[in-house]
Order: sequence, then structure tokens, then C-alpha cells
Amino acid sequence: MSPGERFADPLEPTAIEKAGTAYDCAAVPSGAVVLGDAVAAGFGDGVLRLFQPGFDPLARRAHLGAILSLAADPKGAFVLTGGDDGRLVRTDAAGEMEEIEGFGSKWVDAVAVAAGGGMACSVGKTVHLWDFGGHRHSLDHPSTVGGLAFDHKGERLAVGHYGGVTLWTRARRGWKSTALKWAGSHLGVRFSPNGKYVVSIMQENALHGWRLRDKTDMRMSGYPVKVKSMDWVGAAPHLVTSGADQAICWPFDGKDGPMGRGPLMVAGRGTVLATAVAGLPEHDAVVAGYKDGTILYSTLEKSAEPLLISRQGVEAITCLAVTPDTGWLFAAAEDGRVLWAPLGAGGV
Amino acid sequence: MTDQIPVTVLTGFLGAGKTTLLNRILTEEHGKKYAVIVNEFGEEGIDNELVVDADEEIFEMNNGCICCTVRGDLIRILAGLMKRKGQFDAILIETTGLADPAPVAQTFYVDQDVADLTRLDAIVTVADARHLEGQLTDSHEAAEQIAFADIVLLNKIDLVDQAALEKVEARIRVMNPYARIFRTEKCAAPLDQVLGQNAFDLKRVLEFEPDFLDTGHEHEHDDNIKSVSLTSDVPLDPDRFQAWFGRLLQTRGQDILRSKGILDMAGETERYVIQGVHMLMDGNFLGPWPAGKPRGSRLVFIGRNLDGMALKEGFEACKAA
Repeated sequence: MSPGERFADPLEPTAIEKAGTAYDCAAVPSGAVVLGDAVAAGFGDGVLRLFQPGFDPLARRAHLGAILSLAADPKGAFVLTGGDDGRLVRTDAAGEMEEIEGFGSKWVDAVAVAAGGGMACSVGKTVHLWDFGGHRHSLDHPSTVGGLAFDHKGERLAVGHYGGVTLWTRARRGWKSTALKWAGSHLGVRFSPNGKYVVSIMQENALHGWRLRDKTDMRMSGYPVKVKSMDWVGAAPHLVTSGADQAICWPFDGKDGPMGRGPLMVAGRGTVLATAVAGLPEHDAVVAGYKDGTILYSTLEKSAEPLLISRQGVEAITCLAVTPDTGWLFAAAEDGRVLWAPLGAGGV
Repeated sequence: MTDQIPVTVLTGFLGAGKTTLLNRILTEEHGKKYAVIVNEFGEEGIDNELVVDADEEIFEMNNGCICCTVRGDLIRILAGLMKRKGQFDAILIETTGLADPAPVAQTFYVDQDVADLTRLDAIVTVADARHLEGQLTDSHEAAEQIAFADIVLLNKIDLVDQAALEKVEARIRVMNPYARIFRTEKCAAPLDQVLGQNAFDLKRVLEFEPDFLDTGHEHEHDDNIKSVSLTSDVPLDPDRFQAWFGRLLQTRGQDILRSKGILDMAGETERYVIQGVHMLMDGNFLGPWPAGKPRGSRLVFIGRNLDGMALKEGFEACKAA
């Protein structure tokens, strides 16, 4: 299988683009995650592609239909993918695949991997959870699951659905649930890096968050469109999101997080909407991809001047990821065009 | 931006013949590939490469609009299907026999992603010619399915006589004057007149010629769903109309199931066209009035418990002085 054809540059490329490689994967990207010093990306043609600095990508047909969801082992050993072929597949960094389970004609909508090797996937209203000891649990929810995430220790699992988020905590016997209620449909969920907050992407143009200590609600709204992409970035940390004409960065330092404070806004360029964002690991900096295919870099400072990484595409950038040590950028547009490039080449 | 994928919604009571129609669409030679979204209570097997099981989940939107519900599962499934863009040309959604079509239709108005990627092509209702009358009397949902339809397949006509057929068809007409009715056996309607209809496009509203009924029909049945047609030869005052219409949808939006209109606004050279589902409304100016024909406004509501007199009075008061 071809990992993708290189395509000609229509405009003068930036230094970062010159140092990198463009690929046409000819399929809709469904997500990208950092896997050690590589990036794993899932596509609508069922192919999982592993991008490593200095190599052409490794392509594996992990699913018969589209890859709907993917998550990486925090230690970088494997990627877990869920597909519309009803399969949950584990692929290691060398590209070896193993089917964990098949769910027939159902879709595997969301997946998550915990520190320590725990895994979870959602099929309809049910979350299937394999915890450290290999114990299998089946966790039911009132409606179809929109998103899944483990905390940094792998001891709690947040599940987004209609009407709120269910927080599952590992207990002596099985997993115990706590309800975090908020009207509306909750899709992607994430714990803050310190595990003190849970944030969900909502069906409407907003995020919702909870401070777990006292279940205080945090409304993060004002977006002109839906939020599709979020990431934790920097020391504070900030939660950077798409959904506006700049990268919206909510501060989560202090004891109240973003409550009563406005977000920091960086990497704006007129009225074009940001469609994907990613933080640079261990840095106070973000990359933001836009609806017109542009990619910008910015530090997390109020008056930071954004740096142009790419203006090549025409289709919206939908997936971004940056590797931790080497600083390689993976960017995929809606039409399957991928840029794989070292940010260091641009002086970043 | 690529073309939006057309979505056809198939409704109808259990046993009316939805699956027969679905399988006809999937097996007939038309060179199109379909993705099919079926409900968990589907009657029998469907032979298609891309079939998705849906669990009809009705979500209320957080926008303060109490009657604004959407099909949450559809938002998720349509987004998932879009990952396979290029592998199919159109989408069919089969609803359960007891489904109210409103949340499905509203999903296409309310969710921006769904509206960007897909377009609602038409609501097609399959009705059992022999049992429809009984179902309309007993069931709220059967009536909603007829009221919402762009196309009605009055199926199993071989099981009723001519008089019964006329009677049931007249009853459909009272409830829904602009649905296109096909009398069928085994759902054998011409598929090119069922699919690719673009029925929710404002431009199609311009083509609609409702069967205006003589009022004598209206009281034959005590259906609480009926249609009200309003006409005016005098141009309307745009401000007065917007104020009246806005307030009407706000207060009566739950009872008004569908509305369509072509309006002559005073001081405007183009036709103002509107179309809506409950409180959700599309409206725009769509080109000049045809030459040589008189201008005039017509507005049709299909709804529950509609007060024809009050609607008429409200509409009359919008006439430009």
C-alpha cells in the first residue's frame, strides 16, 4: 500500500515546508496522536499511518471501513483504534496489529488508553473497559457515548454523553460512577494534566468544565462555531481550542481555573476560523490550523506575532500533532493531504 | 466545499412497506451507491454494503427553544459516514414506525455540521391504503408522518376498492395539500420521482401548487391535523409580516408542523420564499415574479389545532396599506 504520493507545491514554501515532506493520503483523516517520537494518524479508508522523523510513513490497513477513533499508549508502545467495521485494534510502534475485540455491525465510536496499560472503548451506550489487571468491565450509560478519557494515573475514566459526563473511579471492587450533570450533548472529554478538572466539548458552540473537588460548573462559551479540537499546553497549563478566528487558550492555573477570567487568544489572522489546534509538548506554544489550509505557530503570549508554517492547502486543517523531543509537526487537511515537517527548520 | 450529500428520510407505520421501498431503492439500477441508516427495530434484512444501525436518540437543544429537538444519533452517524466521503452518493434514513419526523428534519436545520455536509432531500412516507385511516385515528405519529411528508406512497392499493382509495387519498389531502401522492403496489413508484427531489430547497417551494381545497372537505373528519391556506392579491407589508410571522412561530411553533409560502412584499421586485419545520424557518428573495402573471401571496400551514380564522385575520392584517 502506498503511504501517499508527494504533491507539487503551488506556492513558495516556507522553510518548515521545505524541510518536511507533503503526502497525499487520499482519505479523510479522523485523528492524529503522538506515539513516542512518532505520530499515528487514522483515516477514513481504514488505514493507520505511522509517521517517524526521517522516514516515509508506515501504512497498515487496521480496519475494513473508516477509522473512527484512536488513542495512544502514554508510554508510546501502541495505538488503539476503533472502526465502523466494529473492531477494536491495537497496533504497536513497529506496525504489528492485533484485534482486541469485534463488535459485529456496531461502531466503535471512542477509545482511550490509560497510563499503565488500561484500555477502554465505547460501543453505543456501553463502555468496555480493560483495567491494569486485565479485568474486563462493561459500563452502561443513559445515551450513546460521545467521548472517553482516562486521567493521568489511569484511575478515573470520564465518559461524555447526553446530559453530562459520568466519572468512573477505580474502587476495590469494580468501578464506581459519579454523575456530572449539564444539559446538552457532551462529546469529547479530557482531564486536566493534574487531574483536577474535566472538560467536555459540547454539541453546541461551547465547552463545559467541572472542578472535580466540588463539581463547580465552568461554562466556556462564546464560540462562533463548534469546537472540534482541544489540547493541553504549557506549564500553567492552558486548554487550547479551535472554534474561533484565533486559538482560544483557557488558563487552568490557580485554584479557580478559567472561572471569572477570559481566555488568551493567539495565532489570529483575520476572520478565518481555526479548525485544529495542538500544543507543543513542554513548551508554552501552539500550532493552529485554519479552514483555508493555513497553519500558524504562536507562543502563549498576548501580543505574540504568529509565525507562518504553511499556506499550501485549500481544504481545512483537521488534525495536528507535534512530537515531544524532536518537534516534528503532523498536519492533515480534510482532503487527506499531510505535511510532516520539523518545526526547528523555521527557527521555532 | 464539495457538494452536500442528499439524505432521504423514509417514514411509515410498521407493515406499510418501508423495507420494500428501501430494498427497491437499493437493488434497482440507477448507478448510485447508498449508505443506509436503519433503526434497531427494522423489519427484515437489508442487502447493502453500508448499513448503519441507529438507536433513535432525541436530544433537546440548549438554545432555549423548547420544541427544538434533534436526533443526536444522526449527528454522530452522519459525521462518521463523512469519513468515508467518496464511497457513496446519497444516504437513506429509515425511521421506526412510531417515529415523529420532526426531530429528523430539525437536525438538518439546527446542526451546522450536518447542514454543511448533507442536505435533507425529502421526507417520504409509506402508508398502508387499507390501514391508514384506522392508524390516523389511533396514532399521533401516523398523522405526523403524513403531515410532514413531501411524498406519500399510498401502498397496497390492491387490497382496497376504488371508493376506499379515493376516501383515504382525500383524507391525506386535507392534512397535507402539497405532498405528492403515488398510488402503489409493492411500493412500485418511479424512483426518479421519489429520490433527488430537493424538497427542502427554497427554489422547490416556487414549484409547489397545493390542491386548494373547498372548505367542505375540512369537516368530514375530526382530524386535529389539517392544513390552512392563505392567499392575498394585495402586497404584504414586510415589517408587519415579519412581526406577525415571528410571533406566530414563537407561540404556535409546536403546533405548526410545516409551512411554505411565496410572498409578494410591498416595494420588492422579487418573490419572498419561506419554508419551515415547526419554529425553524428558511426565507429568502428568489428571483423576479414571472412576467405576464399576476403577483400574489400564498402561504400554507400544516399543523395541529390550527385556528383558520385567527390565522386569516393575522395574515390579512399584514397587507400593506
